[in-house]
Amino acid sequence: MSTKSRRDFLASAGRGFGAAAATSLLPGAFAGSGPLSPKAPHQAAQAKSVIYLYMHGGVSHVDTWDPKPELTRISGQTLPASFVKGLKTSRIDFTKALARGSAWPFRKHGQSGLEISDLFPHMAAHADDFALVRSCHGDAFDHAPAMYLHATGSQFPGKPSLGAWVVYGLGSENENLPAFVVMTDGAMKCGPQGYGAGFLPAVHQGTMFRAGSSPILDLATPDGVSGATQRATLDFVGDLDRKHLASRPFDSDLEARLASYELAFRMQSEAPDAVDISKESDATKRLYGIGEGLSDDFGRKCLLARRLVERGVRFIQLYSGTHLGDDWDGAHNDLTGSHTKMAAKTDKPISGLLQDLKARGLLDSTLVIWGSEFGRTPLGEGRNGRDHHPYAFSMWFSGAGVQGGRVLGSTDEFGLKPVENPLLAHDVNATILRMLGMDHLKLTYFYQGRDQRLTDVHGEHEFTKFLLGA
Amino acid sequence: MRRIAALFVASTALPALAADDTASKAIKVLSANCYQCHTKAMAMSELDLTSRASMLKGGAGGTVVVEGNPDSSKLIAAVERKGKLAMPPTKALGSEEVAVLRSWIGEGAAWPEHSTVSAAPAVTWWAFQKVSRPEVPKSGSPWVRNEIDEFILDGLRKDSLAPSAPAKPETLARRAYLDLLGLPPSIQQIREFAGNASPDAWPKLVDKLLASPHYGEKWGRHWLDLVRYSDTAGFELDGYIHDAWRYRDWVVDSFNEDKPYDQFVSQQIAADELAPEDPVAQTGTGLYCVGPNRDLFPDQADINREESLTDYADTTSSVFLGLTAGCARCHDHKFDPISQEDYYRLRAVFAPAVKRKVALNRLGSLGYDVSESVREWKLRELGDQIRAVQARCKDQVMSAKLSGLPEDAQEALRIGDGKRTQRQRELATEFADKARVGDEEIRACMTTQETASLHGIEKALVKMYAGYTSKPFACGLGDSWNVAPRTFLPGRGSNPAREVQPGFFSVLGGGEVPPPAEKRETTGPIPLMPTTGRRTALAGWIANAGNPLTARVMANRVWQFHFGRGLVATPSDFGTRGGQPTHAELLDWLASEFVSNGWSVKHLHRVIMNSAAYRQQSNPSKQSVDRDPTNLLLSHFSRRRMNADEIRDSMLLVTGSLNPKRGGRPVVPPLTDEEKENLTQRPDDAWVLTADDSEHSRRSIYLIQKRTFRLPMMEVFDAPDSMLTCPRRDSSTTAPQSLTLFNGSLTMGRSRAMAAKLVEEQPGDAAAVQTAWKKILAREPSAAESDRAIAFVKEQSGNAGGREAAMAELVRALVNLNEFLYVD
Repeated sequence: MSTKSRRDFLASAGRGFGAAAATSLLPGAFAGSGPLSPKAPHQAAQAKSVIYLYMHGGVSHVDTWDPKPELTRISGQTLPASFVKGLKTSRIDFTKALARGSAWPFRKHGQSGLEISDLFPHMAAHADDFALVRSCHGDAFDHAPAMYLHATGSQFPGKPSLGAWVVYGLGSENENLPAFVVMTDGAMKCGPQGYGAGFLPAVHQGTMFRAGSSPILDLATPDGVSGATQRATLDFVGDLDRKHLASRPFDSDLEARLASYELAFRMQSEAPDAVDISKESDATKRLYGIGEGLSDDFGRKCLLARRLVERGVRFIQLYSGTHLGDDWDGAHNDLTGSHTKMAAKTDKPISGLLQDLKARGLLDSTLVIWGSEFGRTPLGEGRNGRDHHPYAFSMWFSGAGVQGGRVLGSTDEFGLKPVENPLLAHDVNATILRMLGMDHLKLTYFYQGRDQRLTDVHGEHEFTKFLLGA
Repeated sequence: MRRIAALFVASTALPALAADDTASKAIKVLSANCYQCHTKAMAMSELDLTSRASMLKGGAGGTVVVEGNPDSSKLIAAVERKGKLAMPPTKALGSEEVAVLRSWIGEGAAWPEHSTVSAAPAVTWWAFQKVSRPEVPKSGSPWVRNEIDEFILDGLRKDSLAPSAPAKPETLARRAYLDLLGLPPSIQQIREFAGNASPDAWPKLVDKLLASPHYGEKWGRHWLDLVRYSDTAGFELDGYIHDAWRYRDWVVDSFNEDKPYDQFVSQQIAADELAPEDPVAQTGTGLYCVGPNRDLFPDQADINREESLTDYADTTSSVFLGLTAGCARCHDHKFDPISQEDYYRLRAVFAPAVKRKVALNRLGSLGYDVSESVREWKLRELGDQIRAVQARCKDQVMSAKLSGLPEDAQEALRIGDGKRTQRQRELATEFADKARVGDEEIRACMTTQETASLHGIEKALVKMYAGYTSKPFACGLGDSWNVAPRTFLPGRGSNPAREVQPGFFSVLGGGEVPPPAEKRETTGPIPLMPTTGRRTALAGWIANAGNPLTARVMANRVWQFHFGRGLVATPSDFGTRGGQPTHAELLDWLASEFVSNGWSVKHLHRVIMNSAAYRQQSNPSKQSVDRDPTNLLLSHFSRRRMNADEIRDSMLLVTGSLNPKRGGRPVVPPLTDEEKENLTQRPDDAWVLTADDSEHSRRSIYLIQKRTFRLPMMEVFDAPDSMLTCPRRDSSTTAPQSLTLFNGSLTMGRSRAMAAKLVEEQPGDAAAVQTAWKKILAREPSAAESDRAIAFVKEQSGNAGGREAAMAELVRALVNLNEFLYVD
């Protein structure tokens, strides 16, 4: 929009609007106290934004973050019955399947000496920047329920997702971009309920950013319509709507709808700019592995994530893997092949993201999370595979004051179950909220007769203190 | 010792008259405030306060009364709301009441010798009281048109507010069409009504609209939202629920024929038992088929069964009773007097229930299964034949492809999957795409003879599937036998699990399910299994004028969809955490009017719409904005945005392309590639396009509704995702909505189509503008609007390159107007 037309719009809009409209309009909400206006957290916040790197399909913990020499030692044997009691997945029988040691050697990295496998050499270089949690566990052994459990606190789809809760609690810092952005490699097993708003108002749901210059659906001016045509029609709508509004006083809804068209127009210019990485330096692009074959695509997404954080986007959920193509779940039949490939796609981009955020001073206020819906069985599936293993898996946390190079929790000598600090999805979610300054007990929404929480009745093992090194 | 002493005092029955007086008072306090939950029957948290012995025994959390010591008595701490526990949960006791309990416990908590207080649950919450027809206030005001207005006026006057003037006939007509049909009226339809000065013009219009088959589509949609209807099962496989649409059509038809609501309810719960000879009625039990499920995950059959039973109980409770019973699955409800036992009694009703195929007609349904079985047998044979015909070419094409690859990759791909080395596995993955042989490549390589063989197979397939159409089955619910699996209340701590019998919520009067009747002989299309009769008993208890909730909840839902907000603002939560009604007596009047008019939903529409309250204009007065900004008292009509379905359907209608065809299998409309990105399955499988173009402009209720994917246009305008029951859609205002409505494929497609027609039929701009206005906004443009629009068309002819493109912009603008999107 030209300066003149924007000024005209605000001037004319001002006649019908409350004073709030011109200054605090947000994509989802209007009239000052809209659901997306920025809100103060319950307490001091460590992080302003979150980048959640989600490895879709299930990453093997015993091949990445959780070294198990004992597993390697007994490779090819069955495990004692006492260890596998109660464990169940779809494809393997824990009492019959054979232990399988990792094909990747583990080494100590950084000052801290964090042990990480050779699968992730680039991330390993940041060992001192992230805190590992090795004792996550759950009970959902299929992809979709496990993804819902992590995202919403319930295995059953339809509840609000973490990103939606965060935006509900904190609002948005940029009126021209969605507050909760989702980027994927394509279709995921969780579908939209993995980043949905559930029973929260729909404005809180994740907005899918697509590849290309028009990241939001219907953002681009339609084919065959020129910029001048678009503007003239928008002005025509505005004229008629203002006349309509003049005979309908006291209706903030009508005012908000009128303003939403101007906001849409502003998004049309701001969002393509946010996703335009052409002005980034070659050095920056190289940092993310852009232009290097396998890592190019995820590298672009990671760079985009940094650009969105810079622009005040609150929550970015970035998925690696699609079940209509490559994903981490290739580990059923081809653990080494698929994990090698998926690591090649993501390792350098993620390390580039950490380095770039740090260099720009953004890491201090951005919580970066690496996770997956579950780990993979320390026991083999077929000749070169591992099945789903929700009973123990690893995650890491970086930025926003997290003291890196440290480990929380541990699993038994085979990586089957946590033995110290077992943590549920609810504990992880409570921690993320706390890092953002929110108390998971206080962040509630009244629905179906009670004050609902992301953490349901759990979350008591919130571990912010550990992350902050306190 | 202390306890013995106290018992001694009590049992020797020597209390002074004054003490007995205190005790009586104390029991009155307990009865009025605590017996909703803490009776022998309810025993929430295992606490029964109706006898001295049970009170002293305490509850799940231990002792609650220490005789002689109020300060150590948890009961006192709870009513004084000092600690974590605050009781009663919904309202604090008065200080006098607390004082009575204190001194009573201080004096030893004796029980009065002749207590007159009943130990039956004291039901104090308004919604659990039986409906009684209230006295209608008599204002004598000329504004009043029917009883509804007396209640509304009474409320307004208490707040010194006055009702608004009636809306203009044009406004009223549009409101009525959109409220009842979900479609706007044409200018002719508006004129027909506005030009009729007779006093019964309005009731006649209401009757006419209620008789339209589009009525059931609009109100059926509300019901489908409520019952989380979908054509797919959800979760990662999102399998099709093939016959879900039969239930959808049954709902639409039921509204159209004004099926008495008690029947509508009963048929959904138990038509297999109540109407064993009527497969159409049994289609109603599809309510229990259209929910989310994981039936395609047989390895989790145990979890799935548990989830299904939970879904059946929760859905039944929230849809028909407006009660959120789900909490009680794991523990006694914290706020409503629904014990865990109550919940499991409801679940036990469904314990014998299983999904079943409802045979819609005897011969067709039996014949279908027979030919389907034959078809499947033949298909396997044809599959073998196809493989054999293609084998030679498949090998040949594959070899050609392999020869172009590096040698180690060739080797890796030739070796069977299981025998590859690590390096070979990597190579096989890397080169898999390059070695893939496509169907077209095989066809190109085939000899004439091979091609002829394949044609023969294709012919056989066509012959098998010619005439293949919808299955003559609906999905419904039935009992697996007349003996039910036992239902157990989960044990906790020292309490072992124990069996519960099917029955109904105590707070609503309770009741048991009688034992199963003798085996019934049925003469239906396909005789049914014998059943337990449990769901029949449940249906009789719910679809019953004596049930305090059923009629109130439905009357409130109907009211909500007319006024934008229910008299109870939480339409599926009539429990104590829900709201008090804004007009309690009006709600009871409506509920009793509903029941006494044969549970006719159309009668409810008539009384509501014939009221003066409904016919008010939608602009609030200054006083109303100041004193009642959310219009709880209804001093004016509340303007509303059209919902997603209404926007799409209206746009199709006014631009001249709505296909009014009713019912049938869901339509799968085209998606842009951009829109397809969000599908969670392969588009070939998950989005099987309906080939017939004319189907794509059917009403939205007939479009496929998937649990993992909503049409982007519907999603952005707050259509529910059908995972949870949706008693009321959001009505948000967002920039993405404007993007979709302004730039999206629906608007652009419709605008261009209508523009082509306008240009063809209207040579002059003024006439074209007038036509566009009349068709889209159902009115004539004012002179100023016409001038502005003509200038706009001229300007856009230059910008957009031609008159037709400019007309498309005109249409695009008009369907984006607030005037179009909102209902005054």
